[in-house]
Amino acid sequence: MRVTTALTAVGRMRAGDHLFLGYGTDEERDAVLAAFVLDGLASGHRCLVLAPVDAPPDVTLGFLEHSGVDLLGALTERHLVVDTQLATADGLWDVDDLVRREAQRAVADGLLGLRVSMEILHSHAGDAFKTLKDSEVLLDQVFGTHPVLGICLYDRRVFARRELDPLDDLHHGRVGADPVWQDELLLISRTFSPPGLALTGDVDDSNVTAFARALHAETLRAAHRAVTDTHLDLRGLGFVDVCALRLLVFTALGLSAAGGHRLVLHGVAPHVRKVMRVTGWDRVPGLELAL
Amino acid sequence: MRRTGFVHQALAYDSDEAFLAGTEPYVRDGLADGDAVLAVVKRQNIALLRDALGNSSREVEFIDSDHWYGYPSRTLGQYHAYCTEHGRTAAGGPRRVRVIGEPVWSRRGELETREWMRYESLLNVAFARSGHWIVCPYDRRALSEQVLTAAARTHPELLHGRGGMALSGAYAYPEDFCAESDADALEPAPEPAREVLFDRGGSVVARYAAAEFARRGGLSEERVGDVMSAVHESALNALRFGGGRAVLRLWSRPSYLVFEIADSGANAPVGPRFPGHLPPAPQASSGHGMWVARQLSDLLEQRIARGGSVVRMHFRA
Repeated sequence: MRVTTALTAVGRMRAGDHLFLGYGTDEERDAVLAAFVLDGLASGHRCLVLAPVDAPPDVTLGFLEHSGVDLLGALTERHLVVDTQLATADGLWDVDDLVRREAQRAVADGLLGLRVSMEILHSHAGDAFKTLKDSEVLLDQVFGTHPVLGICLYDRRVFARRELDPLDDLHHGRVGADPVWQDELLLISRTFSPPGLALTGDVDDSNVTAFARALHAETLRAAHRAVTDTHLDLRGLGFVDVCALRLLVFTALGLSAAGGHRLVLHGVAPHVRKVMRVTGWDRVPGLELAL
Repeated sequence: MRRTGFVHQALAYDSDEAFLAGTEPYVRDGLADGDAVLAVVKRQNIALLRDALGNSSREVEFIDSDHWYGYPSRTLGQYHAYCTEHGRTAAGGPRRVRVIGEPVWSRRGELETREWMRYESLLNVAFARSGHWIVCPYDRRALSEQVLTAAARTHPELLHGRGGMALSGAYAYPEDFCAESDADALEPAPEPAREVLFDRGGSVVARYAAAEFARRGGLSEERVGDVMSAVHESALNALRFGGGRAVLRLWSRPSYLVFEIADSGANAPVGPRFPGHLPPAPQASSGHGMWVARQLSDLLEQRIARGGSVVRMHFRA
């Protein structure tokens, strides 16, 4: 039996971590990678992006600019480096050497370490899965000995589960997006398939504004998606007060009025359903309670 | 008979004939007008009315009053939900709902009796702006003078005999009736099993203490969730309007667990006239907290005063 590996928030990664990201949407990849790079720039690391295709950096990394990265500045100062070795068919062969060399160079250049993100296209992995696995194993030794931390990205829409599971096992664990909010009572995290938020714990007067902020940001993102419904995973929700539910209603009514968009609630507990029934909040346009 | 606007009448009857004289024509008129008709009456009165109506009885929804009149705030919520659901024609226009509502008065303690009387009075406010029509039968043969006297004070109109109607001279405005009901202080609280002081940001302490007490008292997990919501919303109100500090007191009485929130009343009585008694609109910006607390608890007593406000919630164990 396969044990599910631990999930580490990208903001909690540290030197030596060699983590796996099997992403389901581009938005998920961009969210994790942007945080990884931003943290790297803040931490005095060089960020090495091993791109899967041979394209100009502004194409490969355009999404970083939306996250507030000064792309041109970072590239000019070599705090951010794009390498297209993996875009070639045999680029996997000595990737461990490349990372070792770059780690030493980063330190020699006066930086505090190296962050590596590498993505392998399925077409390049092709029949060379054994090579891919060997590369990951060799690479892992570099992480053990050098001031390096890294993420290996795999597109779950392209790689099959049976291909990914053995690769996943070669890493120290999985990496995920940073929580949107975390306090003693509540954890708000982003979900990507379907897109939205997951709430774990209690929402009450002490953190309802944090929830409002997260929900607002999520509905803004939703407006730019092809499918504009926002999903809230409430399976881990222990308690939610009337004020927070009223906010859901307000948000849903706004989405509905703005063109038939919806807020879809998943895993609503019986006692929450009851509150929504006695207030009439289970029959609000734009607010759907999924079974 | 045809009427417009909200109508709330008491029908005091002392025989089966008098019951039917007051209800059968009322139902037939309603069906003829395309009204929705709901009869929540004693079991034997369901049989009586069904027989009298014959085939037409199939167009009437009958409910045994023992199954409907459980807890006053919740019954008011049920009527509200029923009228929201049935108060529209297929085309979306307004539709009158006619209700025969016969509350249950037997086996009620003093506290419950008083709250059911208040409930009758509050119907006048809750449905004031609706076009619905409620007739409340009162069985003279079985009810106390106290209950019959209150009926004259909570119903603007009294029915007697076939079509006979009079304005009730004793009718009291709901504000006045409720103020009288609240004139007496709450029964002194016994030595609580537990007391929890809390202030801003501390509602979590109150609701978890309440949940633990509810669990130990044998409530189901779903009811524990209800306790947490009712206590939390009352706690927030106390912090907001009661000077920023409050206390949760927990104790049990025969067949009930009691959860009381008391504050120092510093900013009292601002707020709605009937806090939590009337269903707020779903889009309203406030008023849902105390409505929810009343809907989830089995009985809620409240006293609002500058010297200190108290919300006492009873949950059946």
